[in-house]
Amino acid sequence: MEATPLPSSRGQESSAKNPTLSPPSPSLSLSPSPSRLWRPAAQRNLRNQWSKLLSSKDRWVSAASEGRARATSLVNAYLSRKYLPEMDLGVLKDMPGIRQKACDKLAQKQELYHNMLISSYKEMVVAVSHLVKASSSMRCFLKGSVAGPLVQFCDHPENKNDFGDGGGIPVFSSFPISHFENLAQELVEMFALELSLKRLLVVELLSISWSQNTGQIDGLKWSDELYLGEFDDLRMNGLYSEESCEPLPPRIKNWDSSIPLTRHLDHPPKSEVLQVYLTTWLADVNINMNRIQDYKALSAMVLHVHEGIWCLLLD
Amino acid sequence: METMVRKFQQKYKRAKDEMGRWDEFQSRLLSQFGNASSIIERLEVLREAKNYGAIRCVPGIRQAVLGKQMEALEMIFCSMRVTMKEFHSVIMSLDKIARDGSQLLKGGSGPTTRQMRLRVGIWPSLADCLDGLKSIHEMYQSEYLLKSSVVSSLTCKCSASDIVALRQLLVDQPNIPNDEVQSIFDIIFAEEIC
Repeated sequence: MEATPLPSSRGQESSAKNPTLSPPSPSLSLSPSPSRLWRPAAQRNLRNQWSKLLSSKDRWVSAASEGRARATSLVNAYLSRKYLPEMDLGVLKDMPGIRQKACDKLAQKQELYHNMLISSYKEMVVAVSHLVKASSSMRCFLKGSVAGPLVQFCDHPENKNDFGDGGGIPVFSSFPISHFENLAQELVEMFALELSLKRLLVVELLSISWSQNTGQIDGLKWSDELYLGEFDDLRMNGLYSEESCEPLPPRIKNWDSSIPLTRHLDHPPKSEVLQVYLTTWLADVNINMNRIQDYKALSAMVLHVHEGIWCLLLD
Repeated sequence: METMVRKFQQKYKRAKDEMGRWDEFQSRLLSQFGNASSIIERLEVLREAKNYGAIRCVPGIRQAVLGKQMEALEMIFCSMRVTMKEFHSVIMSLDKIARDGSQLLKGGSGPTTRQMRLRVGIWPSLADCLDGLKSIHEMYQSEYLLKSSVVSSLTCKCSASDIVALRQLLVDQPNIPNDEVQSIFDIIFAEEIC
């Protein structure tokens, strides 16, 4: 875990609850009244963003599993079509044009799964965008003047000294906003990395299927846009490299980035390779399921349980 | 005599319930076994770097995919062990039912050997009642031992043909011959069948 949880001792809690006693914080030091009001507003916002984070994660998971089913169908159609010429059709073999008809049918299916796979991928991209958005909207800023009779809050800074973190005071239990931001960031990173790897699989699967249709080896390239506006979405998710003008190359967490992708010459791929592609899709190598379980426990706290119990689960 | 048989029939009904639970665990175990074996069969393909096609360019991909699959396999093994515990609980219940059965006859001076073997009409003898429960327990007990050894033989080093053989053993349940079990129940519940 990146963020070190603060010890939730009573002493620290009480001192943290009263920011005027704590050492001067670099950010806007709120006077007692707005700070007292800031906390519930920040909690409300955090709850909101946290539940968005979770629903986007679920959205990603279901899009990924849908994508896997479609990728499998695409591979099956591809393989059936590949083996069709040698296939023993039994009593059907004398029907005129049967092979050609079957082949056309499979080609149609392939095209269908092709498009469906792209739309699953797009859905995953959108889910990551939502994750990114929620993870960067956890702060709660003071709106208007502190001196006014009504203290209001908003989601963007109106004062350059206001960092939206209530001066680093705890928002739930003894944890400040930055703690939750770090956790959210970790979650975003997992899904963004996995999205990038899945993009590589999509590119490969689509180009394999495409080359069967056209007979050309040079199918899709990494630098091709998979759907209109994809690169804008990836840019928002921090997955696009402005220097190389293509999406950042996929990588595995704690490993180097991949070397520039060159087209491999083993076309058409063997069925083992396709099996590895599908297994790789399934394996979600960048997603740490144990961490996801931790999030689930934690989220139950953020969303439902009285904050008193909080510290127990976070430590 | 009739009351005694009725009491035994109650025990058989409980045994039947336990056997129903067993069947439920059996199908659970088979599906876990199926999941584990599909991963095991895939491992060989996943170990070969050349099978990674174009995604070879991602450093660590082979280690990561293999690692994840091993993790998944370990989790399945773990749930198989849980299922084995469930099987064991069925064995414990069947054992208890059989012992309760013999307890039924312990009251007072207990029936004589002649009374034990006495058959009235289609009613089973007390010996039939007692032995049936014991043999059911024994059958399931031996099957449990077989299953435990099959489950522990399933490792990631198994070949495809090993897996087929092991699976067949699990499916067959050779220690629980269906017709034999059925005939025990037919004797005990003869009057209901008629």
